[in-house]
Amino acid sequence: MNVILAVKQYVSKMIEGCGGGMKVLLMDRETTSIVSMVYAQSEILQKEVYLFERIDTAGRETMKHLNCIVFLRPTKENVDLLAQELRMPKYGLYFIYFSNVISKQDVKVLAEADDQEVVREVQEFYGDYIAVNPHLFSLNLVGCCQNLTWFPPLLSRTIQGLSSVLLSLKKCPMIRFQNSSEMARRLADSIRQVINKEAALFEFRKTDVPPVLLILDRRDDAVTPLLNQWTYQAMVHELLTINNNRINLSTVLGISKDLQEVVLSAEHDEFYANNMYLNFGEIGSNIKELMEEFQKKSKSQAKVESIADMKAFVENYPQFKKMSGTVSKHVTIVGELSRLVGAHSLLEVSEAEQEIACQGDHSTLLQRIRALLANDKVRHIDLLRLVMLYALRYESHSNNDVSGLVDALKQKGISVENRTMVQAILDYGGKKGRGSDLFGNQDAVAITKRLLKGLKGVENVYTQHKPLIHTLLDQLIKGKLKEASYPYLGTGQLKDRPQDIIVFIIGGCTYEEALVVHNFNRTMPGVRIVLGGTNILNSKSFLQEVSMAIGNPSNPVQAGRTVRP
Amino acid sequence: MSDIIEGFLCPICMKDLGTVTQLQGHFEEEHSSEDKAVFQQLKGFFDKAKKKILGDKVEVELNQPGEATKREELRGLSGYDPSWWEDQELGAVRSHTDNFKSIRDARVNHFVVETNKLLIRLDKLLSPDAPTDPKKRKAYEKAIVRWIPDNEVPACLNCAKSFSILTRRHHCRLCGGIMCDRCSEFMASSYAQKLVNPAHSFNGEGFLKRTNSNTSLNSLVGNEGESIMRVCKTCRKLLERRDIMTELRNTKPPIVKIYDKMKLCIKEAEQIIPDYMPMVESLSQGETQYDYRQAQIMRTKLVKLYEAVDQLSKKILTFDLNSEQGVNPKQVHLQKSIRLYATNFMQENLMGLQALPTEEDYNKLRQRRTAEIQRKIAAERQAVIEAQERERSERERQEQERLMKENAVSPEDGPKPGHRRVSSGGDIQKKKLLSGKLPVNIVGTSKGHARNQSDESVGKGWKPVEDAGRVSKASDPMLQQMEIIRGYIRQAKQANRVDEVVMLEQNLRDLHTEYQRQQEVKGQAGY
Repeated sequence: MNVILAVKQYVSKMIEGCGGGMKVLLMDRETTSIVSMVYAQSEILQKEVYLFERIDTAGRETMKHLNCIVFLRPTKENVDLLAQELRMPKYGLYFIYFSNVISKQDVKVLAEADDQEVVREVQEFYGDYIAVNPHLFSLNLVGCCQNLTWFPPLLSRTIQGLSSVLLSLKKCPMIRFQNSSEMARRLADSIRQVINKEAALFEFRKTDVPPVLLILDRRDDAVTPLLNQWTYQAMVHELLTINNNRINLSTVLGISKDLQEVVLSAEHDEFYANNMYLNFGEIGSNIKELMEEFQKKSKSQAKVESIADMKAFVENYPQFKKMSGTVSKHVTIVGELSRLVGAHSLLEVSEAEQEIACQGDHSTLLQRIRALLANDKVRHIDLLRLVMLYALRYESHSNNDVSGLVDALKQKGISVENRTMVQAILDYGGKKGRGSDLFGNQDAVAITKRLLKGLKGVENVYTQHKPLIHTLLDQLIKGKLKEASYPYLGTGQLKDRPQDIIVFIIGGCTYEEALVVHNFNRTMPGVRIVLGGTNILNSKSFLQEVSMAIGNPSNPVQAGRTVRP
Repeated sequence: MSDIIEGFLCPICMKDLGTVTQLQGHFEEEHSSEDKAVFQQLKGFFDKAKKKILGDKVEVELNQPGEATKREELRGLSGYDPSWWEDQELGAVRSHTDNFKSIRDARVNHFVVETNKLLIRLDKLLSPDAPTDPKKRKAYEKAIVRWIPDNEVPACLNCAKSFSILTRRHHCRLCGGIMCDRCSEFMASSYAQKLVNPAHSFNGEGFLKRTNSNTSLNSLVGNEGESIMRVCKTCRKLLERRDIMTELRNTKPPIVKIYDKMKLCIKEAEQIIPDYMPMVESLSQGETQYDYRQAQIMRTKLVKLYEAVDQLSKKILTFDLNSEQGVNPKQVHLQKSIRLYATNFMQENLMGLQALPTEEDYNKLRQRRTAEIQRKIAAERQAVIEAQERERSERERQEQERLMKENAVSPEDGPKPGHRRVSSGGDIQKKKLLSGKLPVNIVGTSKGHARNQSDESVGKGWKPVEDAGRVSKASDPMLQQMEIIRGYIRQAKQANRVDEVVMLEQNLRDLHTEYQRQQEVKGQAGY
């Protein structure tokens, strides 16, 4: 149940299967991202893969002395391009791997193009998703929900992606889905169809307890992606945006040229691996330690006097160079993060956000939001998010003042399009769209819990929020997840506590949720959870997702809940 | 390597207590409050040991609660701990290769059959006994290939132009088909030779431009006096396809040759390194397990290989960069990548390549080490004697006290032999422990240490310290076996039979791991 390893093993196997000698890796746009998430370029170089080419690059040079590993998604376009390539082969031999199921017809097209008999292998290796962390994957899809229903091309991509996750992990799961979501039901149905259609593929060694696939809809928890984050990975994504492990720092003032784009990969960066789930405060002290260690080392490097020193220097140089890269990277990132936190009063904003999300009295909160509205340091986007959170939380509160707050936003000079987002978030993730008790208002146990929590006080006001998925997973593991709200697809039912769980969130998941899953994996022996989403959200991409989902505001769709015949 | 102590060590303060009972006593007194868990483990271990010694069957306890919590603590906060996840096999795959090949073969087979037919004919046409006289030649050609009669074909089969006085019919010499002059292809005979016999050297164009003359006589001799042959377009395609494929199979561009040479060097170096590293390690400790000269030879060999890799990769880097045809940017990129690959390899392996100590240093090291070992042995022996002494005096003291008490009760009764036996139970037990090769186990409460110790015993050929030690070694068949293999390795090395040394060492390693595993299992069964 390690998605990074799963994809990595596929790629290694491809390279192995190609034998010795110089190799070129021929990919498309998406498979390039898929491979780059699991293999560093230097790492793949040591396996004699010297060139990387895109199949859609016109006029590639002919180099017959290279063997070619082809890794492509099985799209129509790719099949055509590949057939063209085979008619006039540019490389010696071809080892072809498709990232998903390919039709017999397409195989025939390719076979008929291969007059020169250059093809040695044609296989399906199901690495059709972006592996982000060992327990986290994404499909990098934006706008899968349009007019509150599936955007068809992205539905089929999601089906392919999710089924390839199952195949790469060798899991044939029982499927549960969020009953309130039509999109979840449709995806669940489609996955079941794929499993039935490719029954031979999904025949794996039976485990005592079958794995569970739980399909959720982002609309059930619209709060989590709106919050500011304080753990390293989540915070970097929220404030600087992580895109396939890459971070664009070119907007940072006075940035040096080689730091304009940096890569944060837990697989290849030890400091990041050790700190990605820690709080911002802890990162600060850890980075100080890292600096000190580095300075110590660089000092000892500085005095190269004797031959022994020289030798030691040369021996340690590659490590030293690597370390200096790591240090400057993290120092820059953390520096930029703390600048942003200070410049935009993010601590105050975050505290208010957490209070809205978790507890708090309506009138004090209202005052607090108004105070922040008067604070000029706070960014407009943060104000908008506060009002959106408020609207979600007090949607049915008798004294709620959403319209007053929206007016205040108007006075701040926030555009109409942005102001309509407050209504949009209610249409997307408001009470009507939700299937579960997000704020714990109805359940007596939840209310007591909240009260108790209020009495005991919280450890950290900035991280008190727990995403809905925490409750759901907790219930699922204990076998208490309500069947009415999260029914099984088909007749089967799980009697034991589940062990292998794959959670998929339509509309995207967040790094905060990834941390929750990480903690479950860490603390619950015998339970393995993998989380995935159509995308990995921060507040910016979530707002985009919401506005696409709601579509044209003048023609609101009735909550997307057409009853199935 | 830090100092390694053997014996009845307290796992907390590392004090050598000399005997079991003393260790247990020491532990109860000093550490019972500090670490209940370790104490329990230790105690449990002794209980197990007792049972085992007394011949009882040891039940293996499963699901020890202590262990689960311990694993819990081991899981750090770090990004990802591989121990959370079971070993993962390769994900599902599905192969279309067979299907692909059957479709392709159905299509390609046709080409192959046709091509082979053409080649057989070509071979005959090119035979040295073929007549050169045009008239006779034509008859000869017709005898090999059936020419399609003129009257069957009213128009060119390729361009569909009707034949007339001006547009005359021509025959393909290979398939006998009919085409017009414009659609004819002319194959140079040297190219034809090469097709039939790949060893035939050939440079230049395989097919020549159509000559302007439209007489069929010209089909025998081309512009530059080279004889040529008239063929149709289909035959040309088939022959060229075959030519490209054989070319690809049989020729290696020079850069590939250099690359292969470089790879060969790297491979050889990779084979030597794992043998060389433990040698240096051991020699610079002053151990005598490996032959110093042999290590020297290996090192020279390695350095030479690295130099070769360096040279070859540099050659690849600059290869063909000044050619007149203009440089292909991808080719340059490729060459750079290969050089990078080589440098990475060298950085990883050569930079860390430990130098051997000089011969003089090595001799000094060796002497120092021998002295060190002697000293240790002496110290240990001393410690054991002292400990036994201590215990004896302690027991005597107790005995005396008891005697005094007994005397106080019934002065006539002397010490009963039964009493003596009971108290000597501990003694017997102690001896058995000594002879049961248990020291490793006792210290085994801290596993890392236990491993160090057994590493030690392998690395240095762990000389028997005292009689008990020798007995212990003989008592474990695994250790015996290991000792024997070590002997074999020595012999094989003297005979310079590298292959066998490698095999034997692998054998020894396997045995060693297995032995460790067993020890650990024993150790775990203890707590």
